[in-house]
Amino acid sequence: MKSLLTFAAVVLAGVIWNGPLMAAEKILPYPIHQHMMANGLNVVTVQFDSPGLASFFIDARVGSRNEVEEGVTGFAHFFEHMMFRGTDKYPRDTYNDVLKSIGAGANANTSLDRTIYHMTGDATKLETMFDLESDRFMSLNYSEHDFKTEAGAVKGEYTKNFASPYQQSYENTMNTAFVKHPYKHTTMGFFKDIVDMPNQYTYSLEFFNRYYRPEYATIVVVGDVTPDRVNALAEKYFGAWKHGTYVSVVPVEPKQDAPRYTHLQNGNIPPSLSLNYKGPAFSDSRIDMPALDVLTTILFSPTSALYKKLVIQEQKVRSLGGGAADARDPNLITIQASLVNKADLQYVKDEILKAIGEIQANGVDEQLLAKTKSLLKYSFAMGIDNPSTIANSLCAYITLTGDPESLNRMYALYNNVTIADLKMAADKYFVPSGLTVATISADAEGGVK
Amino acid sequence: MMKAFILTIVLTAVLCAQEVVELKQPNSNKVVIKLMFRNGSISDPKGKEGLTYATATMITQGGTKAMTYSEIKDKTYPWAAAYGSHVDKEVTIFTFAVHVDFLDQFYPIIKGLIVTPSFAENDFKRVMKNQQNYVDQVIRASSDEEYSKKSLEDLLFRGTRYQSMVQGKSESVKGITLDDVKQHYAAMFTRHNVTIGIAGKYSPAFLKQLKADLAALSGVKPALPAAEPPSMPNGMDVEIIAKDGAFGSAIFAGTPLAITRSSIDFAALMVANSYLGEHRKSYGQLYQKLREIRSMNYGDYSYIEWYNGGGENMLPPSGVPRTSNYFSLWIRPVQIAKQLKQQYKELSDIRIGHAHFALRMAVREVDLLIKNGISEKDFDATRTFLRSYMKLYVASPAEQLGYLMDSRFYGRKDYIKEMDAQLAALTAADVNNAIKKYWRTDTMFVTIVTDRSEAEGLAKSLKENTPSPMSYSNVVKAGLPKSVLDEDDIVAAYKLNVKNVRIVDSKETFK
Repeated sequence: MKSLLTFAAVVLAGVIWNGPLMAAEKILPYPIHQHMMANGLNVVTVQFDSPGLASFFIDARVGSRNEVEEGVTGFAHFFEHMMFRGTDKYPRDTYNDVLKSIGAGANANTSLDRTIYHMTGDATKLETMFDLESDRFMSLNYSEHDFKTEAGAVKGEYTKNFASPYQQSYENTMNTAFVKHPYKHTTMGFFKDIVDMPNQYTYSLEFFNRYYRPEYATIVVVGDVTPDRVNALAEKYFGAWKHGTYVSVVPVEPKQDAPRYTHLQNGNIPPSLSLNYKGPAFSDSRIDMPALDVLTTILFSPTSALYKKLVIQEQKVRSLGGGAADARDPNLITIQASLVNKADLQYVKDEILKAIGEIQANGVDEQLLAKTKSLLKYSFAMGIDNPSTIANSLCAYITLTGDPESLNRMYALYNNVTIADLKMAADKYFVPSGLTVATISADAEGGVK
Repeated sequence: MMKAFILTIVLTAVLCAQEVVELKQPNSNKVVIKLMFRNGSISDPKGKEGLTYATATMITQGGTKAMTYSEIKDKTYPWAAAYGSHVDKEVTIFTFAVHVDFLDQFYPIIKGLIVTPSFAENDFKRVMKNQQNYVDQVIRASSDEEYSKKSLEDLLFRGTRYQSMVQGKSESVKGITLDDVKQHYAAMFTRHNVTIGIAGKYSPAFLKQLKADLAALSGVKPALPAAEPPSMPNGMDVEIIAKDGAFGSAIFAGTPLAITRSSIDFAALMVANSYLGEHRKSYGQLYQKLREIRSMNYGDYSYIEWYNGGGENMLPPSGVPRTSNYFSLWIRPVQIAKQLKQQYKELSDIRIGHAHFALRMAVREVDLLIKNGISEKDFDATRTFLRSYMKLYVASPAEQLGYLMDSRFYGRKDYIKEMDAQLAALTAADVNNAIKKYWRTDTMFVTIVTDRSEAEGLAKSLKENTPSPMSYSNVVKAGLPKSVLDEDDIVAAYKLNVKNVRIVDSKETFK
């Protein structure tokens, strides 16, 4: 792939808005090796020039999206905490000792659609990483007391996050924008459910039984490794992992039919306006999501006409940004503005709608479209300079479709986006009936129509 | 002909003065340039705190003599070229990153921003509005943890040039003018205090050009003030910052530390610190005692140098080398009485939340380590961990370059490599000697950002050294082993050398 890039660089040098990467078939310049095990566990290996270093990730495709039952919001995240509470083979203290001995950076995080467990460290310790991870994924065993105790740490995490009014507003936004789908609550969960977590021990056993199964997981190893070695270790340590039976059914969000509003009264931070439109579910074959990525970049990046007007010239807005969330089910397209004066909230909303209307009516300049595609591709290419960021990128797409090649397919789709697609996306998604307006200001009400 | 000859000689002399840190990576697809100026917020004139930050921001969020800010953004847009500034107490770093495909086109912009910034009036208004907002609102209202850390530095370094946040103070930022920025740029961002760092795929000719162009920076020799040490409080000095609507108590505590990465003893303290409270790791004693066993909060850690962006970063970022140092304890927000009472019937009569107990427990852990030292087994395990873990600090080219540049600040060549060698040669006795020599808890500054409802009771409890039993919910308490409850009894009455406690209204901080 490297030689292809060099060739392309020579051929296309000097055409600034159509850089060499535009010609590359695959955005990731390294082959993605996949090995599907008999139990349904997919094993992904990417060799990368990081002497002595490897990243070992497990993407469990369970997140707050799967929290469908009443009273257990935040459970996927809570469960991520429980995964560090030990097994019979490696009780908590022993697990910590072994992890410490391999000197890896290890942690986990949970989001809407997945929970990721990751370690980056000495590539010669890969077998120990497999041993530790397979043991807890297959044989987690915590006491009821440990379970109750860990709930306090989750509450501590909520307490830390709650200090930010933006986090509070985000919580309100999701709760307002969604009625039925579990995206209604944030990954942290509703506070009342967090307080009640210590009482959900039995449910936690069911949760592990349902989701910590090979068909929900993908192993991703990137760095100074070979696919043969990774696959052999995967078979050795995860071969006995039993396929589960639970099929996750997630409620479908009913179509929104009118704008919704939520407001947070807080005069201690700059007034804030957030416009949240219902967007599409992620797809690596439909043009909608790449079109929205290009469209929101054109509309809200620092080079956009809107940004230049509101932030640079008029200076009524401190910061402006926007983008569509990649999620398995339809999520939100969010436009966020931090203002100088609350009196301008309505004006800023009107200006944002005007900018969207301009594209709906007239489309965009062909060159701007090409430059935006270039920006998206080069941004990605610049970022993949170590095993951990590559593994993270692969996991982002494994989460969405189950297939790491979705990364390459998605970036290839950017090439196909046309001006007509941008108009289509603007017409289809930026509609008042799909909008949730979230405001923060010192006033009791948001006052934005 | 003669003129050209003389010019060459002069240029060579200037070039020789420039320090260059190179990291050649011929397989890389990008180039990262870091320009480190030995000029941080400590060079802000009195009453103009925040000036270095304003100057650096004007360079990266303004235009050049040839292009406006928006023109630069338009031009660099399709390249995804990224650049920005970072100001700390003693250094300011400009970082530029670009794909090799666009290096030659991006370079004139890099040069323009650094050597011929436009310092336009309209950019200045925008930049200062945001800086003012940061010191007036953002620091107080977005993260109580960050707030408690910046407040602690304000206490530790009171009266010195280290005291102010790099963004300045409410009053000082108001007084900064565009002329101040221009003068500060000419006096403090000069060819005499810049170190060039470059990583990735670049040619010798490119570097030569960069060096030659930076010779056009101001020729003034900057009058850099010396970094003053933190002050030693009389006993434990606690500042409780009361605000409305806080959900918990965010705690940060620190005491002066005589050494930095320059010292031969730093590796020993690194082992001690990692054992006590490695950042975002579950192995530390503080984490084990406060979070893992008692689930008091999200995490508890200790530090032997400033850790930038501790709330977001899992690994210590480069770019914050400092001469003045302190040892610190970070206790992430613990529960307050108001919340606990609402959540658990059995806690309806408690007076205060968990802050006093948490502080006692953290300080006691340090005291125990000073008294008992680290065991051979724990020493071996921690050293092994660090020797591997430190390599992750420099997993990306930008961080590898950053760490090499910081090394120079400390009089080292390659800090990560040198630490590895020093760790290899350490003994447990070295670590225990260093702990005894450098750590103490009887004199400490403590800042606690908390809810207004918690402040009075907590202040009284601390001032009077009142026993502060841990208030568990019944569901957790029922399963705790006797050993934990016995230890709780000791901690609840553990004497802290508190000499001074005051409550400060959030609105009165950073004045």
